[in-house]
Amino acid sequence: MSYLELLKLASPEAIVVITALAVLTIGLTTGREAASATVSTAGPTRNAGSSSSTRSAALCSFVAALGLVIAIGAVLMLPRNATLFGGMLVITPLTSLFKIICIALVFFTLLLTTSEKSLLHPGEYLAIVLLATVGLMLLVGSEELLMIFIGLELLGLSLYVMAAFDKNDVRSAEAGLKYFLFGSTSSAFTLFGISLIYGMSGTTGLAAISAKLATASVQPLLAVGVVMTLVGFSFKIAAAPFHLWAPDAYQGAPVPSAAFIASGSKVASFVVLGKIVLVGFAPVHGSAAWHGMVAGWSPVLAVLAAFSILLGNLVALAQSNVRRLLAYSAVAHGGYTLIGLVAGGRDGFSAALFYTTTYAITLVGAFGVVGFVRRDTGGDDLSNFSGLYSRSPLMAGSMAIFMLSLAGIPPLAGFFGKFYLFSSALRASPGHGLLWLVALALLGSFISLYYYLMVIKFIFVDKRAEPEIDHRLPITDHVLQKSAISLIAAAVLLLGVMPDILAAQILAAIP
Amino acid sequence: MTTTLQAFLIVSAGLFSIGLLAALSRRHAIFILIGIELMLAAANLNFIAFWRFAPQPHQPTGVMFAIFSIAISAAEAAIGLAMVIAVYRHYHTTNVDQFDQLKG
Repeated sequence: MSYLELLKLASPEAIVVITALAVLTIGLTTGREAASATVSTAGPTRNAGSSSSTRSAALCSFVAALGLVIAIGAVLMLPRNATLFGGMLVITPLTSLFKIICIALVFFTLLLTTSEKSLLHPGEYLAIVLLATVGLMLLVGSEELLMIFIGLELLGLSLYVMAAFDKNDVRSAEAGLKYFLFGSTSSAFTLFGISLIYGMSGTTGLAAISAKLATASVQPLLAVGVVMTLVGFSFKIAAAPFHLWAPDAYQGAPVPSAAFIASGSKVASFVVLGKIVLVGFAPVHGSAAWHGMVAGWSPVLAVLAAFSILLGNLVALAQSNVRRLLAYSAVAHGGYTLIGLVAGGRDGFSAALFYTTTYAITLVGAFGVVGFVRRDTGGDDLSNFSGLYSRSPLMAGSMAIFMLSLAGIPPLAGFFGKFYLFSSALRASPGHGLLWLVALALLGSFISLYYYLMVIKFIFVDKRAEPEIDHRLPITDHVLQKSAISLIAAAVLLLGVMPDILAAQILAAIP
Repeated sequence: MTTTLQAFLIVSAGLFSIGLLAALSRRHAIFILIGIELMLAAANLNFIAFWRFAPQPHQPTGVMFAIFSIAISAAEAAIGLAMVIAVYRHYHTTNVDQFDQLKG
């Protein structure tokens, strides 16, 4: 194994890191004086210093976007299969596919960033976004616990900073700190769990752990390790009762950060959680069927899923802030996705991955609209959305598509995702053992219809006096963002009508 | 008297519990941070102990894991303290109970 070969196999990650450094340099050299000008003239004359600041931001975004496109190209150039250092870096069709999906999600998040004016240092922000992207790619492309932990922490630490990035906003700082405290407690749990798994199995490669578990009987210490690792990951995917950070982080963080937390981070966490439980812990699967519970990780995940679905949907009913509403619905959707992992097997895993991917795409779009409304009206409560239809039919229509897809209305991606998920769960265990979970999920979907339709009602039905807009941005600033959001809406529609373009890819990629 | 693996595990479990207790019960953000660091240290102790008492200790997996996680927890502490300062600038307190702008 020469270093040159290693560099070739890790080229997508290397490209993103280099882009991050380049963006940081550009931001530091061009944005500094502009940013200080903006600070000193803060207030009504804020626009004075912003022309060169906008130029610097545009340059940074362009370089970052270019780097991501090149990284996608590099992923496509990778060999089909390769394994380095006992699974530390694994290249399979599955990891390549999800690296591309993660990079594409980050790409759309970047498009949202271009119109975010509250970020004073765009270069630094984008550099951290790109480092988080590297974290996503490491998470997706590894089957070894040390590498997974490093990816998890790289992603987590970048996300905490991204959440707290808006220094002038008290809520951003608070969201960042809360996210950090919950997140690092959970990573301590993960690390302790991993240490126990390492101690009991003597290895950190997922395949080797699986082989070890299959031969030896399960010791109590190992069970503790497995459960603690799962607790750590439940924090990451915001499954109840470990979801407490999610509403605050979604509401307080800058909009692009929240979109990143809800999309890329979710997808990568589910991919790696699926790999850990279905590959690493495969011999201690257990069964969550109602007529034959067998101890293992799947009853644990089933209980988490049930909790998440109930709590997420019921609490979302009471929310008046759209971002908090999305956060609680994210808890519920995390629960739905877990059903796929509980079902297990090739079918269940691919259903879970398809669901989480379509969900992530939808949420990036929804956060795009939230950012749009926020800039237009200065807030993101439900009341801020009233009359959106008369102000921007395009945004209103896109948001309607996103909400209906999340609710699981037929022609949209969310419906097919749910259908695929629930049918794989029903087929997975003999005698429809997971029926209780599927019934609960269907009940949850019915409940969720209420609050999604509530958002749509505010957008289309509620009229209100045109708000006095004190600071409208030039229309050209919106074009990129608007076209990105419409593109995402079209993708959600397309994935609903022709789900096979993604579902078949995922199914084919899973060995 | 020879030290056994069990002794190390008991110490690390105790350390982890103390850390978790601090993280959950303390109201001061810095103390929560200290609790988290204790939990990470407990995990590191586990890695080293398991590596030391493993049947074939020539594979340095456990030590490697511990070294990486020490570096990571240093980064975590740096970001945590920066975050506490950022919040302190707004609230002029580090009592987590008083951070109440976000709720519902």
